[in-house]
Amino acid sequence: MRNPYEVLGVAPAASAGDIQKAYRKLAKESHPDLNPGDKAAEEKFKEVAGAYDLLGDAEKRKRFDSGEIDASGAERPRQQFYRDFATADHGHPYADNSGFADFMEGDDALAEILRRAQRARANRRGDDLHYRLPIDFVESITGAIKRLTLPEGGTLDVKIPPGLVDGQVLRLRGKGAPGAGKGGPGDALIEVGVLPDRRFTREGDDISLELPISLSEAVLGGRIRVPTPTGDVTMAVPKGSNTGTVMRLKGKGAPRRGGGHGDEFVKLRVVLPKSPDPELETFVANWEKGKTFNPREDRTS
Amino acid sequence: MTLNKQEFLTSSGLQVQTLEVWLEQRWLIPEQASGGMNFSDMDVARARLIQDLKTDFGVNDEGVGVILHLVDQLHGLRRALGQLHKDLQATSR
Repeated sequence: MRNPYEVLGVAPAASAGDIQKAYRKLAKESHPDLNPGDKAAEEKFKEVAGAYDLLGDAEKRKRFDSGEIDASGAERPRQQFYRDFATADHGHPYADNSGFADFMEGDDALAEILRRAQRARANRRGDDLHYRLPIDFVESITGAIKRLTLPEGGTLDVKIPPGLVDGQVLRLRGKGAPGAGKGGPGDALIEVGVLPDRRFTREGDDISLELPISLSEAVLGGRIRVPTPTGDVTMAVPKGSNTGTVMRLKGKGAPRRGGGHGDEFVKLRVVLPKSPDPELETFVANWEKGKTFNPREDRTS
Repeated sequence: MTLNKQEFLTSSGLQVQTLEVWLEQRWLIPEQASGGMNFSDMDVARARLIQDLKTDFGVNDEGVGVILHLVDQLHGLRRALGQLHKDLQATSR
């Protein structure tokens, strides 16, 4: 049994960080699953892992340094690696032909052999099928159940999770093409597109909305109804609210991944009555301060 | 030997939330049986590889997905090469 410091190629005084670095480098080079054809890799990896078991643990390292335990103090039990299964002839769900699928298309001897091998693996997982599904903005926030009509006939009920973002791909396990034998069916992959909304726009977990208010609501304040994706709410507009004033409705945005919700930002826009109003004109004409107020006075040009 | 979900969690030391993510990412595809999931020895070995990549090698989640895909392709190639080797031996005899 070699000295673990020699195995990792570090000095006995090496820091814990250096030991981890040395271990990672050696383990990456020798991990049996990253070197499936190299028989020596397993021995090497076990030696490296054993050394790190000892030196990576401050307590065990101290005991080793003081001679309490020897280098075999922490030998790992015999372990079965992924590579022991992955090249097996019988089909398994992780089998992947994409590394050579192009070679199987020809009509030469190699393509024939590869195709034969493919057919021989009776338990092949079915292919994943791709679909696209457009949904409304509100549905992307609240969640919904949509029925997708498949081009090859039949339908698929798709559960839209609340807070879905445009372009997100949903995976319906086992709803793809049927497999062969015990391989099981593939998955349906549904790319969901969120249609633009007349009222709302979304930025991250927050949504924004531009809301027209009347002149009297702007000047005097008041309570107004504001649409949100989950229904209307009442919001208090303070006195003297201007065009461009942004109000925040806490928790009325899109659901966050870790729980909670974003906010809805309501941008106010003051709108005058469509047809000219003589009373308003008279009032403004008599409003002395309004004549001296110049909203452009801090502009240079 | 196959393990059910609970046995698999116990033997691998994985958190149930972590397993859910791995299943969601299809890093693990256990057999679906009437009584729930069945984890084969292969699934267990694959889970150990993922753990090695994540905890010992410091690979992040995106990296794990890429590595698994490449490893699976490599095994596909190895299988094809092995078949070719066998066929060549059979014809040369």
